[in-house]
Amino acid sequence: MASRKIAKVKNTVRKAAKVVRKQASAARKKVAQAKKAVPARAKKLLKAAPAPKSAATGELKLPALHESTTSTGLRVIAAERGPLPLISVRLVMRAGGVFDPPGKDGLADFTARLLRRGTKSMDADGISEAIEFVGASLYAGVNEDVLSVYLTTPAEHFSAMLDVLGQVVREPTFPEQEVVDARERALAQFANDLDDPSSIADRAFTRAIWGDHPYGRDLGGNKRTVATFTRDDVVRFHAGCMGPKISLLTVVGAIDPATVAAEAERAFAGWTGGPDAEPMLPRKQEPLAKAGTVLLVDKPDQTQSQVRLGGPGFWLGHEDYFPATAMNIALGGGFTSRLMNEIRVNRGLTYGVSSYFDTMSAGGIFALSTFTKTASTREIIDVALKEIHGVRDSGLKPRELKDAQSYLAGLYPLRTETNESVASVIADMRIHGLGDDWVEKFRDRLRAVTPKDVAAAAKKYAFADRPLIVVLGKASEVKPLLEGLGPITVVPASDYE
Amino acid sequence: MSKASPRSTAVRAVDPTLAALFDVHEATLPNGLKVRLLANHQAPVVSLYTFFQVGSRNERPGITGISHLFEHMMFNGAKKYGPKMFDKTLESNGGRSNAYTSNDMTVYYDDFSADALETVLDLESDRMRSLRISDQTLASERQVVMEERRVRVDNEIPGMMDEELGTLVYKAHAYRWPVIGWMADIENITREDCQQYFRTYYAPNNAVLYIVGDIDPKKTLALVKRYYGNIPRGPTPAPVLNAEPEQKGERRAVVRHPAQSPSVMIGFRGPAASNEDTLVLDVVQYILTKGEGSRLVKSLVYDQKAAVSVMLDWSWRIDPGTILFYLELKPDSDPAKVEGQLYAELAKLARDGVTDKELQKAKNNLRADHLRELSTNSGRGHALGHYEALLGDWREGLSLPTFYASVTAEQVKDVAAKYFAPERRSVVTLHPEAGAEEAGDEAAEA
Repeated sequence: MASRKIAKVKNTVRKAAKVVRKQASAARKKVAQAKKAVPARAKKLLKAAPAPKSAATGELKLPALHESTTSTGLRVIAAERGPLPLISVRLVMRAGGVFDPPGKDGLADFTARLLRRGTKSMDADGISEAIEFVGASLYAGVNEDVLSVYLTTPAEHFSAMLDVLGQVVREPTFPEQEVVDARERALAQFANDLDDPSSIADRAFTRAIWGDHPYGRDLGGNKRTVATFTRDDVVRFHAGCMGPKISLLTVVGAIDPATVAAEAERAFAGWTGGPDAEPMLPRKQEPLAKAGTVLLVDKPDQTQSQVRLGGPGFWLGHEDYFPATAMNIALGGGFTSRLMNEIRVNRGLTYGVSSYFDTMSAGGIFALSTFTKTASTREIIDVALKEIHGVRDSGLKPRELKDAQSYLAGLYPLRTETNESVASVIADMRIHGLGDDWVEKFRDRLRAVTPKDVAAAAKKYAFADRPLIVVLGKASEVKPLLEGLGPITVVPASDYE
Repeated sequence: MSKASPRSTAVRAVDPTLAALFDVHEATLPNGLKVRLLANHQAPVVSLYTFFQVGSRNERPGITGISHLFEHMMFNGAKKYGPKMFDKTLESNGGRSNAYTSNDMTVYYDDFSADALETVLDLESDRMRSLRISDQTLASERQVVMEERRVRVDNEIPGMMDEELGTLVYKAHAYRWPVIGWMADIENITREDCQQYFRTYYAPNNAVLYIVGDIDPKKTLALVKRYYGNIPRGPTPAPVLNAEPEQKGERRAVVRHPAQSPSVMIGFRGPAASNEDTLVLDVVQYILTKGEGSRLVKSLVYDQKAAVSVMLDWSWRIDPGTILFYLELKPDSDPAKVEGQLYAELAKLARDGVTDKELQKAKNNLRADHLRELSTNSGRGHALGHYEALLGDWREGLSLPTFYASVTAEQVKDVAAKYFAPERRSVVTLHPEAGAEEAGDEAAEA
């Protein structure tokens, strides 16, 4: 299938053979996720999403949700959905990157990836064989807030595959050799990541914009932290941070909900450990420590600069979500956004530019991501800032807002097209308290946004204060171009290994 | 490569699950436009694909990259909907659009709210009928594509290596150059070149339209006739000659570039999509690299710890394609040694074949992935177009599961022995250079 975005490294080999028109507008992924092919978080999907505008458009409903709880306290939601004989499962718990112990950045991610490398009754090869023989897939990863294990399986193998999922979560053994090997692979990967300009720019940006906040950690860890990981660290994280009482299992596909409840009881019997209640970071939107400064990451072989701009945003479930989302669509969402129009269409400065809100459980940011040839680095920053400030100062024209609403509303039903996306949106609704009517009411709430609402949101988020600016490129040529944007700090790319 | 054996004439059974999914309504308009319609009322959305039978395969030296640059130009204004109006009209009606260009074809697609169907047909037929190419939009779009080349190739190691590999594998065929084209060609393609391209390849008789989703096929066909019916037929494009000579031995190249680790990219000359060996190679691909328990991932990544990752890409192409391997290594790896470890695995497959269980596993995965691909309107529309463009008829896709199910261990062994022969391979090795300041600069600065 064709992709709307530039494929990340693993898929880049054949990029040149299949050239897409532009990168996706809001599909920014965190480095660890992108590198290891964890799907974009559903919240990102929601942001990019559009839905229909006229009365002719059909109603949008999720399949009925059937809830149960296993005897060990695992909450289960099942939704029956055809016609293909496939099932998607997501097990999600609040054990994401922010719960890494001090100095152990990346431990949650590392632990998640080791779950399938051995259990009490199967070794890694046995697990892979069990899953892969029937055409199922299982993988685990984290974002800042949650750890997720994803399973997709042909319907006829659901029972056996849920059993494997139960085993890897309940009783992983984390064999010493597997820990050692995973550590070595991760360290080699960190080195190779230095050759991926976009990933390093993202990593530098995340660290700089969040500073000491837990969201500023490297989700996948880094050379310094991962080198210290031991089997004990992993065992301790699994026992202390993962458990049934903070978990939710969503199952969507060609299966009867009563069967799901019974199979979940069986597959997760005896699962204990972890916190009794969901750990929560306090919600607090603080000003950025590095606002108004420029971070220049030096990579001398570059002929192109990667550019990131960022300022404060808001957390998941925030009341500003809809006006801010409408603003962002018009500013840097679709192909007709102001940023795309000025930077790509009118000036030919880049192949891809997008702005986005990155919303997490306890806070978020508003950011822009783009790239351009070295000589245009300053111009692209100036044009981007002018457009963002234009929205901040004057909001959107009523027609622009209406178009943005139609765009997002028209395409929104695509977010309920697959079992995977339905399983993910159900999990997000519950974990982040979005409400069970989130999908059904999404388009109405979006259409209710007024120009006044947007103007208020834009004043808050379209860089009310000076943004943080991160540039990765050839510093000897780029630095003189950045004079006057704020104090410049130059660091080598190797700081981000 | 003339050795390719013709597709067997044995009748293949259609898979019943797929047959139920693909109740396709077909038509061909008098101007030659082929239309395929498929209803799916699960959500109030529609996907529309337009496949044009033109890609970098139809180019010549001097205008490499024109298929792709032209693809960008298709969004820059036609007679009724002028510059910027395609996207503006589509997005404000609840739709989005994109396109891609490959060696063999150029594919445009729209996803949209079901009630925008007529608007989308108006937009799409307008640009097929009467595209307007201005010097100004061409100049700006050229810059965009040059940035695209910088991000995909000039500043991206696998992109750089892939480009080098293409020139090794192919000596005469147009698959030799990258789809995005050489930088100097992108800079020099003219408006006249683009207009010529439009007249030659963008006529309705060189296109197929696929509409999948919340539609009434009968009413939709009437609309298609209304909007596309009066676009004049064009000349039949000249066939592409495959003059590629036989490869007489292994070919090698080195790329020196600042990098943390060495890496290796290897291409074996494969068959054309229409050759049945192509489908057996699909099975081989799954045996070698699908999943953590696959042969190469288990052996090279987990057991021997020789590579950080191993990738195999086998993409169907109209003319004989390339079976491509990419080995991502560690900073202290010896690329020659890892290359040897890969060849040992390939030789083992060619010598000893596969177990029944491995074969069954590959088949189970091919089927599951096939079904997953068909879970969206867009996936179904693309699959129809893909089969029709590369296998000659979309119906061929419906019997793929049956064919895969029939593949024997003997076929796998024979195909591995044939295509993984040393004289069919080309190898590009990346030799890291530490901190070379100016590497690659001259290629990218416009």
